[in-house]
Amino acid sequence: MLQAGSAVRGLCKAIRPSAPIVKAADKAMAAHALPATLVLSRSQSNKPVVADNRVEVFVDDIPVMVEPGTTVLQAAAMAGVEIPRFCYHERLSVAGNCRMCLVEVEKAAKPVAACAMPVMKGWRIKTNSEMTRKAREGVMEFLLINHPLDCPICDQGGECDLQDQSMAFGSDRTRFLDPKRAVEDKNLGPLVKTIMTRCIHCTRCVRFASEVAGVEDLGTTGRGNSMEIGTYVEKMLLSELSGNVIDLCPVGALTSKPYSFSARPWELRRTDSIDVFDALGSNITVNHRTGEVLRILPKTNEDINEEWLADKARFACDGLKRQRLVAPMVKDSKGDLRPCEWEDALIVAATALQEANGSVAAVAGGQADAEALTALRDLVYRLGGQHVCTEEVFPDNGSGTDLRSNYLLNSSIAGMEEADLVVFIGTNPRYVVLVLPCMSPTPGAWCWCCLVCHQPQHLGDSSATVEQLCAGTHAFSSKLAAAKRPMIIVGQALLGQSQGGVLYAKICQLANKLRGSVEPSWRVLNVLHRVASQVAALDLGYKAGVAAVRQQKPKVLFLLGADEGAITRSDLPADTTVIYQGSHGDAGAAMADIVLPGATYTEKTATYVNTEGRAQTTLAAITPPGYAREDWKIIRAISEVLLCVFNVVAHEEPMNVMLQSVGAARVDGSAVLRPALLQLEDYYMTDVVSRASPTMAKCIAAVKKEKSNRYHSK
Amino acid sequence: MAFFGLDRVSRFFNLIKENGGFRQSLYKLYRQNDLKSGTLVGTDKLGNKYYENNEYFLGRNRWVIYSPSLGTDFDGSAVSPAWFGWLHYKTDIPPTQKEHVQYSYIDTTPSPNPTGTNKAYIPYTTGKPKIQAWVPPTRS
Amino acid sequence: MAALRVFTISRLVPQDLLRGSRPLLVSSRRSNYKDVSMPEPDMSYGAITERAATTIFWTELARGFAVTLGTMFKEPCTINYPFEKGPLSPRFRGEHALRRYPTGEERCIACKLCEAICPAQAITIEAEEREDGARRTTRYDIDMTKCIYCGFCQEACPVDAIVEGPNFEFTTETHEELLYNKEKLLSIGDKWEPEIAANIQADYLYR
Repeated sequence: MLQAGSAVRGLCKAIRPSAPIVKAADKAMAAHALPATLVLSRSQSNKPVVADNRVEVFVDDIPVMVEPGTTVLQAAAMAGVEIPRFCYHERLSVAGNCRMCLVEVEKAAKPVAACAMPVMKGWRIKTNSEMTRKAREGVMEFLLINHPLDCPICDQGGECDLQDQSMAFGSDRTRFLDPKRAVEDKNLGPLVKTIMTRCIHCTRCVRFASEVAGVEDLGTTGRGNSMEIGTYVEKMLLSELSGNVIDLCPVGALTSKPYSFSARPWELRRTDSIDVFDALGSNITVNHRTGEVLRILPKTNEDINEEWLADKARFACDGLKRQRLVAPMVKDSKGDLRPCEWEDALIVAATALQEANGSVAAVAGGQADAEALTALRDLVYRLGGQHVCTEEVFPDNGSGTDLRSNYLLNSSIAGMEEADLVVFIGTNPRYVVLVLPCMSPTPGAWCWCCLVCHQPQHLGDSSATVEQLCAGTHAFSSKLAAAKRPMIIVGQALLGQSQGGVLYAKICQLANKLRGSVEPSWRVLNVLHRVASQVAALDLGYKAGVAAVRQQKPKVLFLLGADEGAITRSDLPADTTVIYQGSHGDAGAAMADIVLPGATYTEKTATYVNTEGRAQTTLAAITPPGYAREDWKIIRAISEVLLCVFNVVAHEEPMNVMLQSVGAARVDGSAVLRPALLQLEDYYMTDVVSRASPTMAKCIAAVKKEKSNRYHSK
Repeated sequence: MAFFGLDRVSRFFNLIKENGGFRQSLYKLYRQNDLKSGTLVGTDKLGNKYYENNEYFLGRNRWVIYSPSLGTDFDGSAVSPAWFGWLHYKTDIPPTQKEHVQYSYIDTTPSPNPTGTNKAYIPYTTGKPKIQAWVPPTRS
Repeated sequence: MAALRVFTISRLVPQDLLRGSRPLLVSSRRSNYKDVSMPEPDMSYGAITERAATTIFWTELARGFAVTLGTMFKEPCTINYPFEKGPLSPRFRGEHALRRYPTGEERCIACKLCEAICPAQAITIEAEEREDGARRTTRYDIDMTKCIYCGFCQEACPVDAIVEGPNFEFTTETHEELLYNKEKLLSIGDKWEPEIAANIQADYLYR
């Protein structure tokens, strides 16, 4: 009951305001100093700090009390003074190579690099003195020796740190008349465009790749004037987080290839929204102009995605413009779908629903929003239908989905940072969702079934391993038992199996057992969902999996964006009318008799619940194309034709159901647990939008081609 | 003669003679509202003739007689770009004395303002369609 | 009665004394008045007769006709427009044009500075990467009816691509014809390039 109660609070929790920058900086500094002890140092940073050992420094004569070890730059930030920087980034290790953050410290002979220098007691930092000003101007002059003046054709123009800072701190004329250096561009794949002549060697991308994305491919070669950033050998940046280097690059050396040359930052309108390509619910900012989504950028949310974003969420937005359903369609006498007026489509759909006499069922896809799910459920129940299902499977034995904590990532995404041991079962966190990038293991170390973070260890790839773990006979069990804050994260490869229910029940038992030895508020059992709509659907009383629909053989089947092929024409009687409502023409629309064009997540204000049960709202950035409409409005319009109007309710309290005891079921045989998304090329196309995206198609082709590269590491 | 203003009479007859007799002069008066005499500076591709007579004050000392092919349907935009600057007193050097820049792409076909004709410009988008709609598969 | 007494006393105070005390006064003192009303007509017999004759014999009208008649014999001070044209500056801001490099390559690099600076928001640009990787516009529209011909676009342009050419004779019969697209602007550039180049040349010292 306690769990369920807190979960309700979790559901109602809106997007929290992001934490102050200084706090984030602390955390990142601590975390990235020594990646091997990442988890340990995190847990230490949570302890209350003894106030006594703080030292006082003066930033422009403003006294600040800081902890020892704080850098000059952080101390200045605490005093509210911004020091210009290029190479320093809060979430990356300190490099100290751009020298832009030079400041004067009283009684120091030379200006010091603020990002790398820890403060000493009583230091007087002058960020506005003549020495500081001259140092900045000098550094800027050096940076601009080789930086091309091609701002008019540079995609970074308008949001370029170098542009802004040279306006603020640079000289207004140049003394260099010599030819500039030119560097050959590197091919990093179909997402990241490189114009290496513009590079100022801040090495942010190199540090991101190795520290956050876990690919050690980027690095520097040469020294001084001949220094270059690159991949040493001709190879692609094989990472599902590669898009973040575009945001990190302070100049236009790394820019987005799909977005290249298409817009300027000043003409974009920005709408904060939620990503729905995975169940993480990353906060995003949709950049759009003239009714067209041009790019998607991450929005900082310390509890979910920090400031990173996965490539699919970032680059699949061109799929929002292709293969769209722009008009309602109804099958004609020949059996071909023909575009028609909304009125005709609604009447045909309502007639079919009425004549079904209660033999109605609905299947919701992975990107359906909570409002549409509610409206559809109410419609089906009102018509006497029994089954509203989701495409994604979840075992229903035991307490099934009745108890909310059974299907949530209970310890929350931010809580994962506090865990000292994480076991992934039947999921590949890299590609299912972008779970805390800093926790994502290095390539080659992730594995089929179970995976332990921070010393990634492969436990096995069959259900037998899970059984051993649960029984406590596995070699790893002792470690698991000793862990203070263990986390077991269960994924779709386990849940979707025929034996998934039994295995899941056993894992529940194991988690319950482990809970005895950990602190009471700590949650051991976590579920990592694959699709954005699943938690909301389960909250709203949807049944996971379409088995019930298959058995019922309904007269009318309503598909709400269900395109993954969970139910096909061959599963249904020939006289079943299939109504498909969704944004894209794919498997669902192809098998439908009536097609109702809906909106994508950028076109509707809708609620999504992420895998940790956090309800968040997307905001409509643009209007749906053509005659497409917001999804819940369509369903409501059908109900109006049917004369059974209901109130649209955004959320309902999840049902409180008593915990049922887990039966002593036995697993028959040994199944192989193999996550569906195992290779990078599997990652790019997982839903209708990404399947319609040409960029994602290019990514898959590039990754496949990369496999034949002789430098490709297996 | 000049004292009595009689030179004006001879000038009048000279003007008519220069403009090709009474019939022509009447037509020109009808067409141009004016009869002027000056030296022919040049002719452009369309057949427009450019004259100069510095006895007139600035603004009237250079003029164009539109090509007879235009009839009475002439328009200020029929002046060719090459002669535009000279006619507008931006330069005193007519294109007969100094050639303008000549690039291969420069379009020298005479193109008076086409509005009201069937050659009039009709706007169309050069951009790409923003949405690509799904086309349902047909059974055939 | 007392108030009146004070007022009369103040009238008796010497003017110099009052002027000296002006900074202390709240309102300035007005001593000069101007009569702006119609002057009283002179009512002597001669003047009355004169006025009557003017009215009866319409002499003003005759004088006006005389001026008109005299002007008919003078050289006209107007110009006979489509044949004679007034002077223009090389900086004249007329019809827009998109220019090309001498090779025929279009100059515009889709930097969108003109779009950003346009105070009337008359310019719309869409851009993408061309097949050869160059940054070029796919759409460059100017609504000539929105444009206020301020010339900011040509000043903002880093490559002298968009210019306001010398042509002002582009009136149209319909509104749509003034919604110029990229191809129209390029064709204007192709037509007017000799004149545009000459204008830029004439102004090179001040650019």
